[in-house]
This record gives sequence, C-alpha cells and structure tokens, in this order.
Amino acid sequence: MSVVENPSDYSGTRKGEDKSFEGVWDTPKGIRRLSSVSHRVVGRRFIYTGFVFFLIAGFLALLVRTQLIVPGNTFLDLETYNQVFTMHGTLMMFLFAIPILEGFAVYLIPLMLGARDLIFPRLGQFGYYCYLFGGIIVLSSFLFDAAPDGGWFMYVPLSTSAFTPDVSADFWLIGITFAEIASVTAAVELITAILCARAPGMSLAKMPVFAWYILITAFMIAIGFPPLIIGSILLESERLLDLPFFDPALGGDPLLWQHLFWLFGHPEVYIIFLPAAGMVATMLPTFVGKPLFGYGFTVAAVVSMGFISFGLWAHHMFTTGLPILSLSLFSAASTMVTIPTGVQIFCFIATLASGRPRLTTPMLFILGFLAIFVLGGLTGVMLASVPFNWQAHDSYFVVAHLHYVLIGGMVFPLFGAFYYWAPHFTGRMMSERLGRWVFWLMFIGFNTTFLLMHVTGLRGMPRRVATYPEGLGWDRLNMLSSIGSYILAAGIALFVFDFLRHKRKGAVAPRDPWGAGTLEWLYPPVTPGFNFHAIPPVKSREPLWDQPELLDNEAHRVEGVMRGIRDGRRETMGCDPVSGEPLYILRLPHPTWIPMLAAFGLAVLFGATIASFYWVSAVGGAIALVAFTLWGWEPSDSGVARDAGMGHRLPVNVVDRRSHTHVGVVGTVLVLMALFASLVFGVLYLWNVAPGMAGAARLPSVLPVVGAALAGLAVAGFGQLGRHAGLKDRFAGAALFALLTAISAGLALWALWAALKPIDPWATALGATLWAMAAFVAVNLFVTAYCALFNAVRRLSGQVEAGQCLPDFNLATYAKGTGLMVVATAAIYLAGALQGGAG
Amino acid sequence: MTNMARRVTAIVVPGLAWATHFIAVYALISAACPPRAMIGYSHLVATVAAVTLAALAACLWSVVSGWGKTDNDLGGAAFWSGLIFALAIFADAAILFFFQGCGG
Repeated sequence: MSVVENPSDYSGTRKGEDKSFEGVWDTPKGIRRLSSVSHRVVGRRFIYTGFVFFLIAGFLALLVRTQLIVPGNTFLDLETYNQVFTMHGTLMMFLFAIPILEGFAVYLIPLMLGARDLIFPRLGQFGYYCYLFGGIIVLSSFLFDAAPDGGWFMYVPLSTSAFTPDVSADFWLIGITFAEIASVTAAVELITAILCARAPGMSLAKMPVFAWYILITAFMIAIGFPPLIIGSILLESERLLDLPFFDPALGGDPLLWQHLFWLFGHPEVYIIFLPAAGMVATMLPTFVGKPLFGYGFTVAAVVSMGFISFGLWAHHMFTTGLPILSLSLFSAASTMVTIPTGVQIFCFIATLASGRPRLTTPMLFILGFLAIFVLGGLTGVMLASVPFNWQAHDSYFVVAHLHYVLIGGMVFPLFGAFYYWAPHFTGRMMSERLGRWVFWLMFIGFNTTFLLMHVTGLRGMPRRVATYPEGLGWDRLNMLSSIGSYILAAGIALFVFDFLRHKRKGAVAPRDPWGAGTLEWLYPPVTPGFNFHAIPPVKSREPLWDQPELLDNEAHRVEGVMRGIRDGRRETMGCDPVSGEPLYILRLPHPTWIPMLAAFGLAVLFGATIASFYWVSAVGGAIALVAFTLWGWEPSDSGVARDAGMGHRLPVNVVDRRSHTHVGVVGTVLVLMALFASLVFGVLYLWNVAPGMAGAARLPSVLPVVGAALAGLAVAGFGQLGRHAGLKDRFAGAALFALLTAISAGLALWALWAALKPIDPWATALGATLWAMAAFVAVNLFVTAYCALFNAVRRLSGQVEAGQCLPDFNLATYAKGTGLMVVATAAIYLAGALQGGAG
Repeated sequence: MTNMARRVTAIVVPGLAWATHFIAVYALISAACPPRAMIGYSHLVATVAAVTLAALAACLWSVVSGWGKTDNDLGGAAFWSGLIFALAIFADAAILFFFQGCGG
C-alpha cells in the first residue's frame, strides 16, 4: 500500500532556519565544522584519514624492507618485526584501502548522480567517527607496547589467550571490528543513495558506470564483512570468557576462524579492486574522448565478479587438509572469476583503441594499472591451481602476487584519481610535470620491489621471516627489492609534496578541466556545498557530452527540478530505484553532534573492554543508546506535498517500499542476515567436523523451542499489522500493535533462553555456538522491541501526524527479518533436539 | 514489471542461481565426504546434476531475454550475465566428473 498517490498539503511541516538556499547548505565554521554531515566534508575526511594510515603503513613497510635488505640483519628484533608486518597489513587492508575508496564514493556519488547529498548524512558522519576511533584504538596499541603481532589475519590458535596472553590481539579484534562498522554503514548509505537519489531520467541503464561499481561493492561489503565481524566476536569471546569456539579438545576447530576470516578476506580483494576499476572506467573515456566500450559487458562483468568472488575463500586454505573435492570446487571458482575480470580489462583496452588517448598523469596511472594488474591476475590464475598453490603457499611468490593485484589494481588507479579529482577538492590543478615523476618513480620502484619477489618466492623464501641466512640465493634479490621500495617511497613522498604545493600554487582549474562527460564537473571547481541549484534531467550516460545545454549555460542557470527551497530545509530529490523518475522530496538533516556522540559512546564501550573496565563500557553503551534515541526522535516530515518544478508535484518522504528509509532498512536487514548466516555456518561446520563432540552436547528443550518459533512469528505478524494500521492512520491501532510487537519480542527472548538452559556453553564448542546464535537473535529482538516501544511512545505523546507512518512501515520490515531469524534458530534447535545429539 | 525492471532481474537472477548452486555443491560435498559421510558419492553426483540443470535453466532465461538487445536498456548486460554465470556453474559442477569418490 502507498500514500504516494494522494499526498495532501497541510500546515504541519517543519520549517528550517530562516536562511537563504546557500546559507542552509553552508558548512559550519570553526570547531562546529566537526558537526558537519555533508557528504563532501565526510568524504574528504575519509580520504585524508585513509591517506594518513597509508603513509603510516607505508613507513612500516619500509622498516620491513630495511630489515630484509641484508641477510642476518638485526635492525629490528623478532618481536618488533612481527608487530611491524602485522600492523602494515592491518592498516593497509582495513584502515586504508576500503575507507579511502569509500571516501571517494561518498564524495563523488551524489555529484555524479545529481543529488545534493547522500541520503543518510548523519550515518556518514557516524561511520567516519567509528572509523577514526577504531583506527586510533588499533594504532594506540603501539603506545602500550601491545601492538598485534599475529599477522593481519590473526589466525588461531596463535591469537588465543593461551598463545597471546597480552592484550595485543584484543586491540586488533576490538579496534578492527569497531572500524568495520564504518564500512558497513557506508555500504548501506551508498546502496540507498544510488538506488533512491538520482537525477530525473537517470535510469539504471543511464547511470554512470562508477555507480554500478560502487553499488555492487556496497552489496559485497554488506555481505562480506559480517563473517569477519562474527569471527572477531567469537574469538574475543573465547579470549574474554573462555568459550571454546576454536578449541579442538572441546569440539572447536581453528579452521572455523580461517573460514570466517577468508569468507571476508577474499571478497575484500574485490571490494578493494572494484571501486578502483570503477575510477578507471570513469577516467579512461575522458582521456580517450569516447564513451566506455561495452557498458553492458562491464555491468555484467561487475555483477559476476561480485557474486563469484564469494566462492573463492578456501583457496587461501588449500594446504589445510580440506577434502580433495572441496579443493577442486574452489579451484574451479577461482579460475572462473578470471572471465569477468578479463571481460572488464578487454573493455578498457577496447576503449583505449577507440580513440587517441591523451597521455596525462591520470592516464599514465591507468596504463600502469593495466600492466601491473594483468600480471597480478595471471599469477592469481597460477595460484588457483592446487598443485602450484601447494608449492608456492606462504612464499614470497604470494607476497608478490597480492601486491601486484592490490597496488596495481587499487593504488595506481587511486593516485590517478587523486590527480583527476584534485581540482574538485581544491579548485586547483596538480602539476603534470611532477605527476609524471611521481608515476615513473612509483612504477619503477614498484616493479623493482615486487617483480623480483616472484623469483625470491620460487627460490623458496617463506613470508613473515624476520631474517635469513646468506648463500641461499635470496641476498641480492632482497637487496634489490628493498632499494625498489625506497624508490617507490620517493614517488609517494613527491606526490605528498605536489598535493600540498598545489593547494596554494597550483593553476586555477577551469570548468570541466579534463573535458569529462559526467555530472560532477557541471560547476566550475570548487562546486558549491549544495551541489546543484536545480537538478537537471539526464538523458545520457555522459550528460556533459550529449546535453550541450548543461555546459552552454552558467551552472547555476541550468534548468532542473527543485530549484531553491520553500521550507528552509536541506532537500534533494528521491527517485524510483529502477527508472530514476522523480518520486518524492527527500528532507536531509542539518549539521549535528549526535552521530559523533554515538560513535564516541561506542568507542568508550569498545576501548574500556580492552582495558577490562566493564563499568566504563556500560557507561559508553548508555551514551550510545541515548544518542541513538535522540537521533531517531526528531519530528517526521512526511505527509506534505510541494511543487518541485518542471511539472512535478512531489510528496515529502514517500511511504512505500521505494522509500529511502525502507531501502535503508532492507540494506540493514541484509547485513543482519549475513551476520546470522555466518553463525549458522559456524554451527553447521562444528556439527559436521566434530560428530563426537556434537553427540556429547546437551540438547535444547523442545517445548520452549516451539514457543520461540511461535513468538518469532508473532513478532513478524504484529509488526505487519502495525504497518497496516499506520498506513490507514489508525493511531491507537498502530500504537497497540507496536506494543504487541515488543511484548512478542520479549517472549521470544525468554523462550530462547529457556530452550538453551540445559546447554552449558563452556562444555562444547557447538554448545557455545548455539548460545552465540541465540545471543545474536536476542540483540535483534531487543532492537525490535526498543524500536516498537519508541514508535508507540511517539504516537502516544502526539509526535505523529496523519500520513507519518514511515516508522511503522520500516519497523514491519525489521520485525519480519527478526522473526525469520527466530524461526530459523528454532528450526535448527528443533532439528538437533529431534535428531538427538545434534545440538 | 517494466522492461527495465525485467532486465535488472535478468542480470541478477543468474548470480543468485550461481550462489545457490555453489552453496548446494559445497554443502553436498561436505555432507558426502568424511567425517559425517551422510550421503553416498553417487547420490552426490545425481543431486549436483539436478541442481546444475536448474541453475543453468535460470541462466538460459537471462541469455534468451537479453538476446539481440542493446545496451540502452541493459539487454546486453543480461545476456552476458547469463553466459558468464552459466560457464561458472558448469565449471563448478564439472569437477565431479573427474573424480570417483571423496578421496579423488
């Protein structure tokens, strides 16, 4: 059902501040700048913070290379060496690569799609501060002489309390999990923004290809990060509470950690590669002067890579004794992913061949990307072969391969992107002359460092060794690799110099300085804070090339929808997710401190847990809860209609499945389902690999399990009834069903606890995992109940007016997701209870 | 359903078919091979064959729906998505023809 068809005017709409259009969108000055929620500010923060982590991680890499420059070196002691290479990998993979690319996406997507901001600006600010605080927690481990030293993958049993009794692993597990919240929130934010806020006429087929790359990447993050989050929570629980998830003596399995880690870890490679490839696909047509060859091929290839990359995780585990059939399955999938990757590369090459490329600095980096990434891809195919993988595993050949893929596939496009979009950030051009020096230093330095490592690996040098004896044929290769790393570092240092220099001395950038076709270049740099005075209709994938009226006029005179404002609020246009036709007006929040406060509360919660100050953790949790409540309490804007120009009369905040908040809730439920599925995988895995211990486990009680399933169904059912009542503006009915949803959630919680009471979580790993699954479902039940009560209180306290039923609408979707989890949990318990010994 | 929505569905369905197929093959191998060995190898092969045919049929639908279409409405993307995933599904299942049992 929908109320879109008949929106009505009424005077209940909130007015914003009495400011001009420009004033409403102004970024606050001074310390209040930290409260900004603008995608441009938040995106730049992600980029700059990510780059700082890159420099720190790069410095650590230089320490590693200096240690290995000669055999028998004592520059670093063994423990420090372990810390240095662990932190190098951790910072690069978690705190640099993904956040910086998300930063570019957060910055560019609204500009390319014709939106004034991302749809959930507060979520963006919250994500950034989670990332910053998480990164600080991880880095602060150096100050406490407790830097993690177990490798960036934190394998168990090395990282369990028995072998890492200090808090170094806790710093890693807690800090990284916290920082991952940023990635997941950004993913939900980007999915919603791409689907719900595009310029009129920008159907999915007319979307810039970069948005396809980011859309698929965001879905991958939503599904790929949860296994690691669950793995980290299980491992931290084992360390803090002695729960035996990974203890073979009690039916646990260290390989469960590897499965969960690589279920995240391999898609992560593609999560890093795809946005960078999207940058290439955006920049390349600009310098060739022709549209991207094979838009359809590319979309198909990106979607295929997004899926198939989830079927490769076990190729990191070929030497762990998996069944031969499993090895073959993962080998086949690993080989097949080369097909969409190859399709994509051929599209780039065909685009190059379709015109006369201009050899600018970004173009040089694109060519560097093509050369290096293709080499990395080829060694990837070699490693997908099981017999070769057994030989090369954990050798420097793998180190060379992964750097060819990650630096070639991500860092080179990223540096090209810096040169390309720098005018957008600063209004000035970076130096072409220095840019060429940067490129050649990086290209020569990179290949000197890593090409030789293939040989070092084939000569048998294992990774992660702090030193090596002379005379094994590794000496000269290592020396050359280290020299190459210094050349690479010189290139990066020169880039930093150029970036700082250009902000004051770079040539002023003209409008559309590269002659690009995408919408972010509509305004002369720097684009004003509101992105568009009026949002222009789009008829092409390269609107600036195919719609001359856009560049013929001054940008602020371009015709479009939503020119100016009536209510003094930040607004952009919501669209149909598929066709891109205008559907509603999106009201966006103004600068606020609340998301920062929520992130701070969570940082206190996580940080104090490392120090075992649990009452401080509780205070942090309470701060976060209060902040989230304030965040959600603001009055609703829906139920009003406004003229949007160009013949469109649109409601504010449509109430149906295409609503941005509903799409956001669906994205959130997707993440929660992936978390839940990771736990189900854990239960089934342990049940399968340790039948003896599974048989020894106590069984859940049948009657409470059935009760839990019924209560789960009630949660979903009452949520849905609340939605119906809300849509019909039945105030009392909606409040009543919200209360019943909360009560059902409470009953489901109690029934799950009663079902698991006979099972001792410390006795077996399977029992512990069943409890973990129940705990996760319990958290969701708590959130459902909390939101239901929240909605009921808002209705009963007169905060809700006619037509403002979005919260009820969204709660129903969340309640159905939670209900499904309860029923699935009950089904697993019931299967175990009825089969006997299975659970 | 609009044409565009149909095309988007045709792009995504082969991916979902591949994912379902991959999970099914992985689960069946885990069920057939020790330590639990819940099903025999012949059952494994027969079930994988059935699942593979179903998954390939889903891909075929996308290939047909995108046949001869241009990129203007993502028809080409639907065609190529069906083709790429069909290859991947076939490769994932084909491994079983090279083995006689869980041991190789």
